[in-house]
Amino acid sequence: MDDDMIFDPSLKKKKKKKTGFDIDSTLAGEQNETTSIEAPAESGDVDVPEDDNLDLDNFGKKKKKKKKTFFNLEEIESALPETKDEKPPAEEAEPHGEKVIDDLDLDIDFSKTKKKKKKKNIDELVIEDDVKGDDQEKEDDMHGDWVGGDRDYTYDELLERVFDIMREKNPSMVSGKKQKFIMRPPQVVRIGTKKTSFANFTEICKTLHRQPKHLLDFLLAELGTSGSVDGNSQLIIKGRFQQKQIENVLRRYIKEYVTCHTCRSPDTILQKDTRLFFLQCETCGSRCSVASIKSGFQAVTGKRAAMRAKTA
Amino acid sequence: MSIQNLNTFDPFADAIKSSEDDVQDGLVHVRIQQRNGRKTLTTVQGLSSEYDLKKIVRACKKEFACNGTVVEHPEYGEVLQLQGDQRENICQWLTKSGLVKPEQLKVHGF
Repeated sequence: MDDDMIFDPSLKKKKKKKTGFDIDSTLAGEQNETTSIEAPAESGDVDVPEDDNLDLDNFGKKKKKKKKTFFNLEEIESALPETKDEKPPAEEAEPHGEKVIDDLDLDIDFSKTKKKKKKKNIDELVIEDDVKGDDQEKEDDMHGDWVGGDRDYTYDELLERVFDIMREKNPSMVSGKKQKFIMRPPQVVRIGTKKTSFANFTEICKTLHRQPKHLLDFLLAELGTSGSVDGNSQLIIKGRFQQKQIENVLRRYIKEYVTCHTCRSPDTILQKDTRLFFLQCETCGSRCSVASIKSGFQAVTGKRAAMRAKTA
Repeated sequence: MSIQNLNTFDPFADAIKSSEDDVQDGLVHVRIQQRNGRKTLTTVQGLSSEYDLKKIVRACKKEFACNGTVVEHPEYGEVLQLQGDQRENICQWLTKSGLVKPEQLKVHGF
């Protein structure tokens, strides 16, 4: 009886120890995580119980096991040297009684199977954490892992966290869903053979909240031609242009001078400040300078004789 | 096709050069201009004066089967002119020959 009494705790300890070893060997860095997960629980956070609720059956069990093993770990670590000392005597003491041996065998078997299971579970857990663990890990990261954790965060973790927060705060922005910026297509009509009319020019300026002059400067500089706004508030451009081409240039204008370079919202104001244009975003508050409009080098395309006559 | 003098390129010399003159802001502007009818003209502005533009234009003319010249401009320096819409061609050629990095190219026009 005394022997039994001695054996049982030793065996239990052995078991625990094994699990402890497993954790040490398989999850070297896990300890940190578990501690950090534990920290908010102590501080009265609701998240950890929530986790258990959210867990799938398997997952929850694993989690619990993990936690249990973690709790054991502390005990074991204090008790480790003792168990080591006790282990050999336990094995020596085996041939005392058959019942005891049976028990021992059973226990040992059990422990072995348990060990295997646990190993498997932990492996699975690790894999799942890595592969599918998005939801779970995120939640851990979001609430528990970051609060008490004292470890170095990897770049991937931080990146994921940022995106999680972004997704939480404004779900419309992420997941590739840009705010659709709906605009009327430019109405481009040819006038005669050499001129093109951009009929709804002022209307487009209004929808973009830009000065007509600014857009006019840009268009003419990009197209490398001349033009003017006529009485019907339509733009007459010299040269043949199709709607597709004008659309292309407009798109570039919007990209450079209308949408915010940081958050891509079209809700911006273009200000002129000390000869430079600044784009002020109304949504995110960012302010950045934009390139000035330069027409650059213009080759002589007209008749040189006429030019010479003009200048001279 | 290998152009001998283009391959000897000292990046630091370029950096010194660009700090000296303001014309070279690193960007190479490729523009298109309409001429009469459906004719067009492609201009390449901002190529480093380290390069011999005459040799470049000679190579381009052969490659794209078009005519072209080098025009001297007081403000913008030497500018390449090529007949026709050669924007795609010249961009590919400049990047392939390693004269200009793709992010330095700025294509204008429709």
